[in-house]
Amino acid sequence: MKLLKKGAEADIYLTQWNGSRAILKIRKAKRYRNPILDTKIRKQRTIKESQAISEVKSYGIPTPLVYYANLKKSFIIMQEIPGKPIHDLPNSKIIELSKEIGKLVGMMHKNGIMHGDLTTSNFILYKNKVYVIDFGLSQKTIKSEDHAVDLRLIKEILNSAHAEIMKSTWKNFLLGYKSVVGSSNYAKITHLVSVIESRGRYAAVV
Amino acid sequence: MIGLGVESTAHTFSCAILEKKGKQGKILSDVRKIYRPPEGEGIHPREASRHHVENSATVLSECLQEAGVTIKDLDIISYAAGPGLGPCLRVGAVVARSLSSYYNIPIYPVNHAIGHIELGKLLTGAKNPLVLLVSGGHTMLLAFLNKQWRVFGETLDITLGQLLDQFGRSIGFASPCGKNIEDLASSSSNYVLLPYSVKGNDVSFSGLLSATKSIIPKSKADACFSLQETAFAMISEVVERALSFTRKKELLIVGGVAANKRLSEMLHDVCKRHGCKFFVAPQKYAGDCGSQICWTGLLESQVKNGVSLDETFVTQSWRLDSVKVDY
Repeated sequence: MKLLKKGAEADIYLTQWNGSRAILKIRKAKRYRNPILDTKIRKQRTIKESQAISEVKSYGIPTPLVYYANLKKSFIIMQEIPGKPIHDLPNSKIIELSKEIGKLVGMMHKNGIMHGDLTTSNFILYKNKVYVIDFGLSQKTIKSEDHAVDLRLIKEILNSAHAEIMKSTWKNFLLGYKSVVGSSNYAKITHLVSVIESRGRYAAVV
Repeated sequence: MIGLGVESTAHTFSCAILEKKGKQGKILSDVRKIYRPPEGEGIHPREASRHHVENSATVLSECLQEAGVTIKDLDIISYAAGPGLGPCLRVGAVVARSLSSYYNIPIYPVNHAIGHIELGKLLTGAKNPLVLLVSGGHTMLLAFLNKQWRVFGETLDITLGQLLDQFGRSIGFASPCGKNIEDLASSSSNYVLLPYSVKGNDVSFSGLLSATKSIIPKSKADACFSLQETAFAMISEVVERALSFTRKKELLIVGGVAANKRLSEMLHDVCKRHGCKFFVAPQKYAGDCGSQICWTGLLESQVKNGVSLDETFVTQSWRLDSVKVDY
């Protein structure tokens, strides 16, 4: 098995499943974490991830197919999406795709799923389609506040990693998002985003 | 070039003198007086500022004496203009303004948080790090991009320092409680499951604080141990996330909580896993001190003139990601 990526919480390997290429995502024990806490986190996230990936697929969101999940050893075998993370694309492409990303996030929220880790590394462009991956921190929730937490996170990422194109990407993201969730939900959730931001340390008090 | 830095954002009043030659900086003196609230209580801003006023003259003269310089030798004066407690900030600003106007020395308002980072970089030699700033006022993950420090993750409510202090005070310790909690935690290895709240690259500690308080009656030591294990694991995880996202090859921890050994042990392990160099600000300079203000002022003086007296502001809320860094 070839190690593709040592991620933050899991290692990604290239493997075989029924004769075709597949991805093995394993959450290995972390030495620094207390074993009780560590086991709980790894197991919980493996369950959440395998469930959410399949569930959002049924709402029309492109995700990898889950072939197999092993809760004891905390690994998942899934379809390989051999594209490129949005994070690594040229700026003009990121700006263009932000609208699509906004739509996908809107679809998740509309169906009561919060992704929990919306970064530009967790969207992959493959054959002109944007795939969503990494559902380890996802939650089933219809609360607008939770959806706002999702939005705030991607805003933070755009504002840091993609600072020079922040304005245009965020604008496009919101356009896409609004087109799916509708104006009234959009207004409510974006308002909550600013509420969460104002709770941040030393935020400019409005 | 010789500078004086005045720090008074929270419980510490400190003056420091540094000499800058090219890119090198040398701390000639760093004198502090720390306000200690009574056991079980937090900082009272008025009491802290009174403490600062009462000690400012002694700290200043000791600092000059130790460095072997006089006020007339100073090329610039910097003071911490925020973020911090208003009454405390004003004391430092008044000291700096008085010296600046009487002796006609250029004056620089400095962002306290940037000070932590710049001094950490100076003392550890980190070049292009992901920075973890953990203190009573901040819990943030930062990386430098396009002339500004950008936030890659932060706390959504209270800071790690507040979490430790508020918990510590509830079991009768005096702020800052980090050391006491660490000592008591080391006497237990019985982990009690507590809420673990990581939201992407951000953390939230308020739920953890309440939950930990509820297990105090069973065992204070277990509570301390479990609190540290949970909170530091959350921090370590977001550090891992940010490292893998930014692909930085250096990690620098600064701020008062950087002194905690368990935290640095865990982060050391994280760095090993990611093939990343690990830097911790030396314990003496991890917490609030005049040196951090002085060094940042000296850096700013490379590209900017001092400000006029009516521009010498103080502000309680001043996010470091709003500061343009041109040096």
